[in-house]
Amino acid sequence: MSFQKMGLLGPMGFIGQENYRIVFTDPTVIQSTISTIVIAASITIFGFALPILPAIAIHEITRITWKRLFQTIIYMPYLFSWVIIIGIWMNLLSPIGLVNSILVSIGLLDIPISFFSSPNFARTLLVAQTVWKDLGFNAVIYLAAIVSINPELYEAAEIDGASVFHKIRYIILPHIYPAMQIVFLITLVGSLRTFDSSYLMTNGLTADKITTLAMLIYERGLLEFDLGVASAAGVLLLAISILFALTASKIVGYK
Amino acid sequence: MLKSRGFLIFSYSLLGLLSIMMIVPLINVIATSFSTGLGSMQPGVIFWPDKFTFEAYEVLWRRLEYWRPLMNTIFVTSVGSIIHVFLSAIGGYVLAQSSLPGKKLIAIIILLTLTIPSQIIMVPLFVVFKQFHLLNTLTSLIVAELVSGFSILLMKTYFERIPIELKESAKIDGANTWMIFLKIYVPLTFPGLATVLLFDVVRKYNMFIEPLIFINDPLKMTLQVALKSIVLNDQVTSTNDIITPNVVSAGIVLALAPLILFYPAIQRYFITGIYSGAVKE
Repeated sequence: MSFQKMGLLGPMGFIGQENYRIVFTDPTVIQSTISTIVIAASITIFGFALPILPAIAIHEITRITWKRLFQTIIYMPYLFSWVIIIGIWMNLLSPIGLVNSILVSIGLLDIPISFFSSPNFARTLLVAQTVWKDLGFNAVIYLAAIVSINPELYEAAEIDGASVFHKIRYIILPHIYPAMQIVFLITLVGSLRTFDSSYLMTNGLTADKITTLAMLIYERGLLEFDLGVASAAGVLLLAISILFALTASKIVGYK
Repeated sequence: MLKSRGFLIFSYSLLGLLSIMMIVPLINVIATSFSTGLGSMQPGVIFWPDKFTFEAYEVLWRRLEYWRPLMNTIFVTSVGSIIHVFLSAIGGYVLAQSSLPGKKLIAIIILLTLTIPSQIIMVPLFVVFKQFHLLNTLTSLIVAELVSGFSILLMKTYFERIPIELKESAKIDGANTWMIFLKIYVPLTFPGLATVLLFDVVRKYNMFIEPLIFINDPLKMTLQVALKSIVLNDQVTSTNDIITPNVVSAGIVLALAPLILFYPAIQRYFITGIYSGAVKE
């Protein structure tokens, strides 16, 4: 389909590389490719590294009620849909919301910031919300790996006089390396297809910053019914995903 | 165990802080939803409604007819998930048979489908659904997510743990393939089935792009899309009044409620599901 002119009306047929020429020269496509890569890279780095510490912390807490409580609360946002997440954060960050009210009342701000309509905050917000949503899920994967570490290792390290930092560095991190590979790949592949959050957060002011390729495919294909160009952009996204996933799995040595 | 007092204190404070980050936005939304319209438009920190009222819920239920998308979502989720679990179980059962030729290759092809972003197949899917006259029907939402590679592979790992002797002895006793599947495999892999079911319930409940694309009849709108138009303040409803923050919050709370109710069950099976999925052989 990516080699054809397709629409609901009008002429159709094979037009060779025309769609790909459009995809590789159109400034909005290039812009959204850059956005996709920047957003995916930030989500992957933060979403992969941040949950490690909470996972160690949950394992460390021995009182079962607290352990359960923390695990339950941290895991919760993972279940929520993007509409709910955006709704919750819009409520929190709106010009009359909690964050702005606090910032204004302690005198840090003179006028409230409207976070959701500011191009400066758009990408940061999108990344922060994704990391917030997935933190608990990734922490549970790490926790599963930490739980299976043989406790005798810690005792042996203690006899050798290892500090907390040494134990984390030389016992926990090597043991959760397989889990880290899995989380890294899941986050990378997931973040490249960012759509829901981008769709919900896009408005006239922030469109340049957070329109991802997946979002562009939707706009071109299903709003403008330019199915040929949308398919070509889809092939581009697929190529980027496969390329990134293969490179990443080579680097982390995942089989 | 690191056995360090300092790190234990650090653990509690870190997790406490994270929990606050997760809980505060929720409390904020719940409190706003019980406030009056006017109260919710005042700037300030809302942790408790100014006057406890169900005003917002009434607007949502009567004026915006929120029950209709809710019913649609419940229909799609329940019917869709049950079919999904059944088909995934059959798929996993077939893949778990040791006598199946080309088993590895089929498993790899199924695994590859997981790497394809779902937005890419949306355009072709739209064209196909149009030809099948499935657009604007709730059936399209069920068909679009009928099976998933993830569920099949998860069921396969569960089925493979069942010792082959059980199957052989059942065969000697004269059971056919269906009976072996229903009487031995399904009861023994109940935790696996529950995991797949709950994963799928949550996914179908939160499904967003599919209803957005396939459905534009307001009567067949699903919950997430309806909530989207309330949150983003699209004027899809015929009423022209402003949707106040308390109505938006009430919409969010109602959409959250089923998930919170199911949460204990979800947590039990989800987390065991992740544990078993995390260990790759």
